[in-house]
Amino acid sequence: MNHSLLMAILILAPFVGFLINGARYKKHSGNVAGSIATVAVAISFISAILLVVDLISMPAEGRRIAVSFFEWMAIDKFKVNAGFVVDQISAIMILVITGVGTLIHLFSIGYMHHDKGVAKYFAYLNLFIFNMLLLVLGDSLLVMFVGWEGVGLCSYLLIGFWFTDKEKAAAGMKAFITNRIGDAAFLLGMFVLFITFGTLNFSELNALAPTVAESTWLGALTLGTLFLFIGATGKSAQIPLYVWLPDAMAGPTPVSALIHAATMVTAGVYMIVRLNPLFIMAPNTMMVIAIIGAATAVFAATIGITQNDIKKVLAYSTVSQLGYMFLAVGVGAFGAAMFHLMTHAFFKALMFLGSGSVIHGMHEEQDIRKMGGLKKYMPITHITFVMGWLAIIGTPLFSGFFSKDEILAYAFHSPMGSPILWAAGVVGATLTAFYMTRLMALTFWGKSRVSPDVHPHESSAIMTIPLIILAILSVFAGWIGVPHVIGEHLGHMPNFWEHWLHPMISPIPGWTAIDHTTEWVLMGCSVGLATVSAIVAYQFYVKSPETPKKIAESIKPVYNLVNNKYFVDEAYFGGIINPLINLSKNTWYYIDVNFIDKMTFWAGDLVRGMGSFVRSVQTGNMQQYAMYIGIGVVVALSFVIMR
Amino acid sequence: MNTEFITNIGLTHYLVLAALLFVIGMAGVLVRRNVIVLLMSIELMLNSVNLTFVAFSKYLGILDGHIMVFFVMTIAAAEAAVGLALAVSIFKRFNEVNIRFFEHLKG
Amino acid sequence: MTADAFLFWFLAFVTLASGLSVILMSNPIYSALCLAMTMVGISALFVTLNAFFIAGVQLIVYAGAVMVLFTMVIMLFDLKKDVQAFTKGKFTGAVKIASVGLLAGLVVGAIAMSVSLMGEKTTDNPVMVGTGMETTKALGNILFSKYIFGFEALGVLLLVIAVGAVALARSKGGTHEH
Repeated sequence: MNHSLLMAILILAPFVGFLINGARYKKHSGNVAGSIATVAVAISFISAILLVVDLISMPAEGRRIAVSFFEWMAIDKFKVNAGFVVDQISAIMILVITGVGTLIHLFSIGYMHHDKGVAKYFAYLNLFIFNMLLLVLGDSLLVMFVGWEGVGLCSYLLIGFWFTDKEKAAAGMKAFITNRIGDAAFLLGMFVLFITFGTLNFSELNALAPTVAESTWLGALTLGTLFLFIGATGKSAQIPLYVWLPDAMAGPTPVSALIHAATMVTAGVYMIVRLNPLFIMAPNTMMVIAIIGAATAVFAATIGITQNDIKKVLAYSTVSQLGYMFLAVGVGAFGAAMFHLMTHAFFKALMFLGSGSVIHGMHEEQDIRKMGGLKKYMPITHITFVMGWLAIIGTPLFSGFFSKDEILAYAFHSPMGSPILWAAGVVGATLTAFYMTRLMALTFWGKSRVSPDVHPHESSAIMTIPLIILAILSVFAGWIGVPHVIGEHLGHMPNFWEHWLHPMISPIPGWTAIDHTTEWVLMGCSVGLATVSAIVAYQFYVKSPETPKKIAESIKPVYNLVNNKYFVDEAYFGGIINPLINLSKNTWYYIDVNFIDKMTFWAGDLVRGMGSFVRSVQTGNMQQYAMYIGIGVVVALSFVIMR
Repeated sequence: MNTEFITNIGLTHYLVLAALLFVIGMAGVLVRRNVIVLLMSIELMLNSVNLTFVAFSKYLGILDGHIMVFFVMTIAAAEAAVGLALAVSIFKRFNEVNIRFFEHLKG
Repeated sequence: MTADAFLFWFLAFVTLASGLSVILMSNPIYSALCLAMTMVGISALFVTLNAFFIAGVQLIVYAGAVMVLFTMVIMLFDLKKDVQAFTKGKFTGAVKIASVGLLAGLVVGAIAMSVSLMGEKTTDNPVMVGTGMETTKALGNILFSKYIFGFEALGVLLLVIAVGAVALARSKGGTHEH
């Protein structure tokens, strides 16, 4: 089939779904709305597959399907086309977005069927998919930015979906405003890049990147990429702009799975990978990215340990995993970042949907202290959740293992990495194993703490089928990127992933092949530590539930600090938001009300006074008017004569 | 006494005469209250203007002034017709021709 | 004193006197008659200025048609003496009279100041001293050639006025229902 037609179907199918469901937003039938939306995304998925199949059949070096629908704007030298590109990087993204998207839509039919705004919900969801596709397919930063803003909007709408609850509406706004801060930086980055290169097109930017050498430590390239990275921290929830993501859990759980775990939050990583030749030329930016990524990975993981809301734990876990991706990007392991992006999309979507199934089965209960022993009530959810758990803690041969260990290997060995970054990564992995095991133990294992009037039940097939599919993917998706060191023991299994992305990824300057012994040792370290930590967590929370409490008691100040998320929200409120509000209030009161308003009132009073004076002249007495004319003639005439 | 001013009639005499007539008409417009007298005063003013036109026409030796007189006359007649029609219509409605009464004809 | 000068002074007196009477008579029918007298005076003044045709038109149109219109309307209204012929208000009255007086003074002053100028510009015995017929012929020529557009426009104006006046007079006083 024609590529531009396929591309149009790929992008527009969810949009059509959005229009249909948007037009019937008052309807309550979840099955109809859900079917429409799911079919729309499925159509999109099928065209994505067809496009990728075509892409694979092309020769490796020229793999690129570019379609330009029309010229969007042309201002002097600044030309932007509504152009879309499927290449090695965006191919992965469209498959993940539409594939996982379809599963989550399917799951949503079961999860949302009793909600009154179900048609609206599916309309938003489809709109999100549409915007996400714009984001990943856009061939220039500006087209990407359209999608970037669009997904931000959908995220806001869906977080605040139950907007009658003030807290949830506020969470939506928090997400939106935090994202706006990042977006402003993103725009600045675009400006800097446009001034430097005169184009915003990705392929042109990437081609021009090696020609620009950075002379100073903060040149145009570093500045531009740094701004783009700040934009990415907003969208991808990194320090310091991560605060919105945990609150974003106020939205429906499938939304958390789709937007706040699998797709939208990875947009920042995707953007950097897309521009990797540019970023690799700015080593200072890379260093910043790696440090922020590693710090976020550890920081979020520590908070995750103390959380009691099942979704909050997963949210902090997401922040932490995104930190991993940025760590990978920062040390130049763009392929590994994309790899982790994909595997994370599978297992985190799986776990979020699993948590959704648990919440659904527990009748909207989210506190894991009130769960426990759900294994026997929800066997399928439990099994699939275990798969996700094994994947995220990096159990060998599960998907998370391959991607995470590739990142750690790069962090250690890359000239841009360092053992400190690697150590941070390992600490993060250890903590991840701990809090995920804690989550498993408190939710599914051990004694039941479910209150007697709640009767947990397994979810319907429409919800468990997506779980099963995602579980299979979580287990096996890693096998397409098996590193050589393991692959040679598995009958010389090739690393498909590396081959696939190779033409798109810039080589790291000064890279030397990693020695196999080192790789084994690194792998052993992280797996060993994770295993130990998982066993400890199991001991703590299943065997002797009293121990963690005792430990928490003994280090109370530290526990409180972590449990309250390091008081980051409070610090933002005290340090930035409240001063800003006060400043605004003062400017409003002193400048606007007392100065500008008074001035305008004064001007108004002046005109009104003049008007009431002049009005006294207009009596309606015609002869008086005639008199005025006469006086006017006299004055004019005397002026002429006296001159 | 210089009798030149009295015996030798020139353009100036006509102009002054016209000016006085105009001023009389204007005074009528300003002080009279009857709409019909008001219209008559306007006719007076227009006539005085006609007088200047013809006087200038003669003393400058150009005929165009006469043409202007035609135009003024026609418009004066038209104005009188419409003004009187309005006066009739208002009188029929309110039985009143006092100009001050028309102040209340708003909205 | 020549006959011309005598004639002018006589006509000036008649015109001014009847003009003043127009605005001083409290009965509108007397005002109308005085106005007719003024028209006749002005018509005679036109004759002294050799504008014979204009003088005739003045008599026919003004003294004839327009004045008849006025008297007919006055008869239609059946107005006796006005109860209050003049506007009240001493201050505005004074201002009005003062402005009128000032205007008269100014105009006369202006004319007096430009007498010398007029002597230069005017020809004392201009071309149109011939018989009435010649002037009228020239007038006709110029009216139907140079001013043909204005002439036609006036024709249209008169038509509109005729229709408008009929429409106004036919209405039962005012456009609103009552």
